[in-house]
Amino acid sequence: MNPKPWGKKAVHAGLLLLVSIYCVFPIYFMLVQSLKSAQEDVFGHPLIVLNPTLENFEELFERTGEPRGFVGRALRRSYPFFDWLENTIIVFAGSVAITLAASVLAAYALGRLQPPGFRWWRRVIFATYVIPHTILFVPLYQVVIRLHLDDNLLALLLVYPTLALPFCVWILSIYFQHLPREVEESALVEGASRLTAFVRIILPMSRPVIVAAGIFALGTIASDFTLASVFLLSEHNQTIPAGLGTMEVALDELLAVAGINLMAIPVVLICAVFARGYVRGLTAAMVEGA
Amino acid sequence: MAAALHPGASVTAAAERGRSAPVGLAKSGRWSAPRRRDARLAYLLLSPTLLLLLAVLAYPVGWEVWTSLTDLSPLKGGPAEFVGLENYRRMLADRVFWRAAAVTVVFGAVTSLAKLALGVGFALLLARPFRGRVFVFLAVFLPWAYPASVSVIGWYWTLSPPITTSYSVFMGNLKHAADGAFGSGAWAFLSVTLFNIWRGSSFIGVFLLAGINAIPPELFECALLESKSAWRRFWLVTVPLLKPFLALAVFLSLTTAFADLANVWMLTAGRIIFPVVGTHAYWLAIQGGQFGPASALSLTLVPMLLAVLLLLFRMFDPPEREPV
Repeated sequence: MNPKPWGKKAVHAGLLLLVSIYCVFPIYFMLVQSLKSAQEDVFGHPLIVLNPTLENFEELFERTGEPRGFVGRALRRSYPFFDWLENTIIVFAGSVAITLAASVLAAYALGRLQPPGFRWWRRVIFATYVIPHTILFVPLYQVVIRLHLDDNLLALLLVYPTLALPFCVWILSIYFQHLPREVEESALVEGASRLTAFVRIILPMSRPVIVAAGIFALGTIASDFTLASVFLLSEHNQTIPAGLGTMEVALDELLAVAGINLMAIPVVLICAVFARGYVRGLTAAMVEGA
Repeated sequence: MAAALHPGASVTAAAERGRSAPVGLAKSGRWSAPRRRDARLAYLLLSPTLLLLLAVLAYPVGWEVWTSLTDLSPLKGGPAEFVGLENYRRMLADRVFWRAAAVTVVFGAVTSLAKLALGVGFALLLARPFRGRVFVFLAVFLPWAYPASVSVIGWYWTLSPPITTSYSVFMGNLKHAADGAFGSGAWAFLSVTLFNIWRGSSFIGVFLLAGINAIPPELFECALLESKSAWRRFWLVTVPLLKPFLALAVFLSLTTAFADLANVWMLTAGRIIFPVVGTHAYWLAIQGGQFGPASALSLTLVPMLLAVLLLLFRMFDPPEREPV
């Protein structure tokens, strides 16, 4: 290709800049707020922080109770942020693991074993994705109470996997279905069991698609606020989103923003590490399916 | 790997050993023994998924269908009575319902179109290599990767700041301008719409990028020879090729639109009421204790979403490809 004209290049670069700003600005804004002291929050410039401080983050972990400006000590609650963090890690890791385990099994069934009517099974499972969980929470709460899981992390471990499960089953089963039959057959002929063939051949082959499904599950689960705050009531059982939701934001705005960032940073890092794998996995599934 | 080269040979070998043969190998008939064993194993492997979906989706939907036909309410003593379609009849006669339904449809359509337009743009920008592409890609990926459960908190309180901060005057002015022009609550609604578009366009952009990668580049190169106009190429080649991925992307991001509304509703403890089917139903159920009408109301979303789904299914899972 001959070199592009100068003007076209400039438009391209301008567009890229615009897109980047559009995507990053709200996150930048929240990051800047969380680094501000109370004084700068009120009197400083909205978009930049002159004297960045980590005091909001520190305060989340050990609340010293130093009254800030006009807000009295009596009004301020302390928050069990460590508990929230621990609960969030348990719930997120557990839900993603359950989602992946269940969807790999189901996808193997639909994609490789292909029971009669497997396309319809797959469609019905995928169709459940359209039902917003948030319109169901009255009956969902009854299910949770009947299982004695109210105010228990297990409630979320039951509900969260179904958020991403339909899509994960869909892409994994389409990928499995289009893997050539020979990949398993040669192992079976050599005397390996079906399980061995699956673990030694199919699973390693489909790693990118499993990564894509896992990242999708993580992103979907991490976007729920409603279910977490409905099912987790007592302070020590909450996850970070549910806990932050109970903060009195009028008093603890900076603290809340710091909490937002503390929760977001690990999730974003995990997603960023796997970002290329996510695209590669989606592509791998799409080449076969859709 | 000799077996791989002679699939026929391996089939007989596997059959002779009496192993469960892979799919479709039993030529004698559809219901041969290994195939039946496979089907049984398949249902066993499907069971965790089906159990989860039954407990968390099917039972609640069934409960809502039943409740929508009764006058169940925690405020009323005694067992719920069956009232037939009364709840639905009253709902359809209610002007508020029609307004909520219209807003819901418009909200879903506007956010989907905006997300699609932006997402296609992002994907096309990122499809060809250039210097620094990885950074732009990560920037585009960021809004989706940043957990919405917490970013919605930050987003909401930023757009309607609760206390005096350095930006609250600016945001307050915007809020009053929007509320003044479209009625109170308009700014809150607009802010959720913007949030959903911001996050959804990121998801669709990355998703479509994966879709573009799945299309053989020769197809695009042929198009380059066919037509000089980039605009025509886009509509005649890129869009048809991407159609299944576009449909899937819309489908995947549609439910997040309702989840985001619910998140903000929950976040503000119901102080912000959107004139939308879902949140109106919460208000009926939780504040009003009217489970029957609330169920009827929230179920009206399901046929709408199913209709969209059926429409989209034809695009990304076309029936003519099925051999059965």
